[in-house]
Amino acid sequence: MDAGGRATQEAKAEVVFQRPGKRLPGDLAMWFFILAELTVFALLIVTFAVAQAWQPALFHASRGALDSSIGLALTLSLLTAGLFAALAQEQVRRGRSQWAGGLLLAALLVASVYVGLKLSEYQHLLGLGLGMEHNSFFTLYWILTGFHFLHVLLGMLILAWLAVRCWRRSQAGDDAVLESGVLYWHMVDLIWVLLFPLVYVLN
Amino acid sequence: MATSPALIVCWLGLVLLSVASVQLGNTGGGLLLAGAVLLAALGKAWLIADGFMHLRHAPRLWRGLLLGWPLVVGGLVLLSLWLQRGF
Repeated sequence: MDAGGRATQEAKAEVVFQRPGKRLPGDLAMWFFILAELTVFALLIVTFAVAQAWQPALFHASRGALDSSIGLALTLSLLTAGLFAALAQEQVRRGRSQWAGGLLLAALLVASVYVGLKLSEYQHLLGLGLGMEHNSFFTLYWILTGFHFLHVLLGMLILAWLAVRCWRRSQAGDDAVLESGVLYWHMVDLIWVLLFPLVYVLN
Repeated sequence: MATSPALIVCWLGLVLLSVASVQLGNTGGGLLLAGAVLLAALGKAWLIADGFMHLRHAPRLWRGLLLGWPLVVGGLVLLSLWLQRGF
């Protein structure tokens, strides 16, 4: 298909998915990817909840090895990185790409607090012998939080790439690539919002 | 589309709900408290979806899917806690 035909097809797709007054930010492909990711995490979260229902005493005792204040610090670092990413998106819309790049760098720095805290928590648990094979709580803890941790690392790579991209460009307006990258980060936040109380808080 | 002050208000709401849920969790156990903690999580999910992800003005289907996800998962978690009492 030539470039003209592709452009017409993309315009048609926009008509289908963006009714007057309604706009879906980012690429449609990113939204399908987000739905797939949310489905996988939903299965993992529900598995954790069901396992907890079968062994409440074991889950209660095992949760005692986790520090909910660390969980809160992890939450705040993810949400603050999300704020910086959302602010960066706004700056791009206003044509301030350099500012956006700085805000994405700030998001990256705050997200690295999450990585540092999570690694120290993992190290602490391993030091106590609470590895993946210790019991069913820790099996699910390592799978659930480890899988989420990998998503955070990928999100940080995306934020870093977006920051470089912002520093290299200067035009204003909506940027579907930036929106999609930032949406990925917000998805990571959204998953943590349910994962955090389930793993650290609920008894 | 959300502006900087709106985004900061969203973030403040997220921080407050996060602190509140930890405080509630430290208060003790019970289905009512668990429900309150999950309600706080739903509030946070709504702030992220509508505030940070700009879904307030998105097509209803996508907004519904994103807001429905925490509702369904949170509901299933609460159901598992309720069933736990019967085991």
